[in-house]
Amino acid sequence: MKKLIIILIGLSTLCFSQKKISKSHPETNLTCKTCHSCEVPTRQDPCLNACPRASMVTVYQSAEQTKNVVTLGDISKKYEPVIFQHRIHAEMAEMSGGCATCHHYNTSGPIQPCKNCHLLNRKRDDISKPDLEAAYHRQCITCHREWSHQNSCVSCHALKNTTQTASQLKAAQTLETKTHPKLVEPKKLVFETNDKDGRLVTFYHDEHINIFGAKCINCHQQQNCSMCHDKDKVSSINSPEGMPVKIQKSKSEHHKPCFACHQNDDCSLCHQQKIAGPFNHEIRTGWALNRFHEKLSCTKCHGTTYKFVKLDNNCVSCHKDWKVGSFNHQITGLKLDENHVEVDCADCHANKDFSKTPVCTNCHDDKSFPKDRPGKLVSSVQTKTMKSVK
Amino acid sequence: MELFTRPTAINKKYFTPGVIILILLALNGLGWLAARFIFGIGAVTNLSNQYPWGIWIGIDVAAGVALAAGGFTTAALGHVMHREYYHDVVRPALLTAMLGYTFVAIGVFIDIGRWYYIWHPLIMWNGSSALFEVGICVMIYLTVLYIEFLPTVCERFIGHMNLKGGLKFLNRPVEKLLILLNRGLSKTMFIFIIAGVVLSTLHQSSLGTLMIIAGPKMHPLWQTPILPLLFLLSAISVGFPMVIFESLIAARSFGLKPEMRVLSRLGTMVAPILGVYLAFKLGDMFIRETFVYLTSFNLQSVMFVIELLFGVIIPLRMFLSKAVLNSPLWLFIASSLVVFGVFLNRLNNFVIAYNPPYKFATYIPSIGEISITVGFISLLVLAYRFIVMNFPVISQPDKKYSPATKFAIRGSEE
Amino acid sequence: MAKQNRRDFLKTAAVAGTAISGLSIKPAKAAPKNILSEDRMGVLVDTTVCIGCRNCEWACKNAHNMPTQPQDKYSDRSVFKEMRRPDENAFTVVNEYPNPQNSEIPTDVKVQCMHCDHPACVSACIVGAFSKHESGAVTWDTTRCIGCRYCMVACPFQVPAFQFDKALNPQIKKCDFCYERTKVGKLPACVEICPVEALTYGSRIDLIRIARDRIRRNPEKYVNHIFGEFEVGGTSWLYLANQDFSKLQFPKLGEKPAPGVSESIQHGIFAYFVPPVSLYALLGGLMWITKRKNESEE
Repeated sequence: MKKLIIILIGLSTLCFSQKKISKSHPETNLTCKTCHSCEVPTRQDPCLNACPRASMVTVYQSAEQTKNVVTLGDISKKYEPVIFQHRIHAEMAEMSGGCATCHHYNTSGPIQPCKNCHLLNRKRDDISKPDLEAAYHRQCITCHREWSHQNSCVSCHALKNTTQTASQLKAAQTLETKTHPKLVEPKKLVFETNDKDGRLVTFYHDEHINIFGAKCINCHQQQNCSMCHDKDKVSSINSPEGMPVKIQKSKSEHHKPCFACHQNDDCSLCHQQKIAGPFNHEIRTGWALNRFHEKLSCTKCHGTTYKFVKLDNNCVSCHKDWKVGSFNHQITGLKLDENHVEVDCADCHANKDFSKTPVCTNCHDDKSFPKDRPGKLVSSVQTKTMKSVK
Repeated sequence: MELFTRPTAINKKYFTPGVIILILLALNGLGWLAARFIFGIGAVTNLSNQYPWGIWIGIDVAAGVALAAGGFTTAALGHVMHREYYHDVVRPALLTAMLGYTFVAIGVFIDIGRWYYIWHPLIMWNGSSALFEVGICVMIYLTVLYIEFLPTVCERFIGHMNLKGGLKFLNRPVEKLLILLNRGLSKTMFIFIIAGVVLSTLHQSSLGTLMIIAGPKMHPLWQTPILPLLFLLSAISVGFPMVIFESLIAARSFGLKPEMRVLSRLGTMVAPILGVYLAFKLGDMFIRETFVYLTSFNLQSVMFVIELLFGVIIPLRMFLSKAVLNSPLWLFIASSLVVFGVFLNRLNNFVIAYNPPYKFATYIPSIGEISITVGFISLLVLAYRFIVMNFPVISQPDKKYSPATKFAIRGSEE
Repeated sequence: MAKQNRRDFLKTAAVAGTAISGLSIKPAKAAPKNILSEDRMGVLVDTTVCIGCRNCEWACKNAHNMPTQPQDKYSDRSVFKEMRRPDENAFTVVNEYPNPQNSEIPTDVKVQCMHCDHPACVSACIVGAFSKHESGAVTWDTTRCIGCRYCMVACPFQVPAFQFDKALNPQIKKCDFCYERTKVGKLPACVEICPVEALTYGSRIDLIRIARDRIRRNPEKYVNHIFGEFEVGGTSWLYLANQDFSKLQFPKLGEKPAPGVSESIQHGIFAYFVPPVSLYALLGGLMWITKRKNESEE
């Protein structure tokens, strides 16, 4: 009897506690193992993993949907509570790391206030996370310092009971409705370098996005507010189109975004003595795109990511199914006659090199291309037939 | 038959042009010394947080201790080994050691920031500190040296007590006391002699241990775990050359005949000791492969080469030559080189080799520091001159027959 | 000639020998404290977090009642143009170095006493004026110090400073890990004021665990080296950085405690005073033998 009661109580508490926990869990498609290291986490021993950021699913929330202003007043001693313009900062964050820039792995459900994890007291038992003051400051100062090059307290804080307080509040109100202007993507940037053999580097920003399919984050990883808002520097974006701009960065810093793809390329690819023209497949690769290839997106041939794979100029490397019978020769503008439809490709196109003029001498002693044609010229090429090629 | 000699006070005029120059130098030093006590160390020296020790430690203390090594080496030779032959030089060597250590103590006194706490090491002990050991040993050894010198004082006053005026009545009791003291000392002197040698061995080597704790702050040409051994060996090797050096200077200064009979025999012992020192120094250099630092041309490498070449190798070769040993001039030059070598070694170890990782300016001794050091050396020479002119220290040929005593420093005959 | 027979000689020698050794063996009552507690405290300085606000410099002076400029004057960043060192007027200073990962945000490094686990100053001090406490702090005692500055020669981090300008009662000045504050449960002043908690105060064991964790989680951000974990046998203050520590002007030091070699020599020479006493005995014997030889020759 005793045993039974104990078991019943045990079962009920188990059910109860489980129910309770599942309620407080955000509704996500996470597996238990993402956060818990043991099979049956209990309240007493939740066996939480230290920081499952990477494996957490982030729920995208656009900046417009977020809170406009957040007042941070938990630790105000010397200063007034900080009026934090959340929305405009969220908009700025969207240009780089998103919500996770500040909210760590807490973006998947209801946003937790910082103080839930970051304790108020500096003297505390768990020192693995910074305290609340440090957590706030670290988030703010890292960016603010990047463009202002100082640690000015008053850019966020207003001293208590001063005239400054009122003006600060007013400034905050004007910012409430303000939004960050949309980014204007530059078309072309010209950098002046110290390289003697190639002083100028022309960078076609639009091409990298529109043609090569680069995402912002591919290059703008480490970039931040100071890119545009640096107090001391003239940013490249503000300069007139095509004018050389000088930026103080270390050599490796300069090359880092480019080297993600251009690591094995020759210096002269980017460093030239004059402003380079836009991308030209023939000049860049030595292989002119014909009227068919011109219309394709790069990824069609060079792989799915924007880190492109170099190809050889052998047609069958890509066109693996170009065989007699399956290839509609008509799309080349020449409809083969009855005699030649059945002939193997390599009989006319020596070594399957389709860039060269076909030869007739394999069968015919007295015929030559293009004087004699193995069929009829046709004028238009349909996109439908294009599709069938693949 | 041998010529018998006997320590006698030298009867000459105290003031000579050289003495007056020395007095001026001493007065200059004392002036700077006053400034040091009134305005602090920073006002007089070029010492800084980067270079906490300068020439006061490098020369006044470290070189001072090393060059006073004649005291314990001759004591060991004359009394422990009972080589009566050398007794003539024991007393002058003892006097040099006594004065040398006195000025070492004064050097420490002016260098430490809180000079009024100089007695603290006596009651506040830190056994792991090399400096503590040096300090305690030097303190005890200084006392031992004074005790060892007491018989000379007794000898001077027993039978010559001549207080005048109101103190006249003291003449007899004081003389009685001196006789009593002299008797007591003659029975126990060997304790102090052995203690002196042991204490010297200890602190001469511990002086080398001092800089080991500075670790990488010290240039690798000098920084080695065998520094204490090298310090001890160099102290032993400079002992006899220092005795020869001062004996020849004193002879010249007082117009006496150099005691070449004793000095050249003393000189024959220098080369083997110097050879052992050189062997250890070179061996250490090759084992630690520090010779690579000699390829770069800088202050440290140049000073090391000067120290080794002019301070050890050249005098070693000279002391091996019979001609050098028998010529007062060459013997003087050879001895001077050894003295210079050890002096430079101590300066190098404590000043030149000290290369702190963070520095704003290299240490160059100030005029004040140099003045005080020079002033002290002048004072030491003046005191030596005064003592040998008033106490029986330097041996001179004796008309009367007098047997060689077992303990010459005891001085009295029974 | 002394009428001293051989037996007398031996007797006096024996008495003198024991007297000297007895004098020295007596344990030093006033020996300095040198405690290495398991749960000693420390500070982890994350130089990648430090913003160079120099508030710690102000808080330190304030906590130690030293003359100081008003706090807002410390935002002056022009002082970073030249390397500064802690001295008698400032126990801690912040220096700035270029950051190879992001030139916009320079790396700032706070410098102060490292509070070694095996402090050279404690070992070297002639009068034992330095003590290593259970809390991890290495402190200096003004009632003992004689101002010899051997601690400055010994310190591998070149930290202790001396008031050279004072003629009377000059002091050795260095960070005391806010010994008086921590004793009453307060944080060190610099840790308390740091706006970004670049300084984390905790037990040294925890700090090393946290530091390792930070390196593991951000291997690209940090160099895999906790300065002070093993340097000179370990220090209470530990540093993390995003570049080689030599570029931040940290001294290159081995893992052996700084006083190791000199202490083993000292303890070797003075192993229960056996070597000095045996040397004394040896010389006494030698003296006796040569004396007898001379006598028999006579």
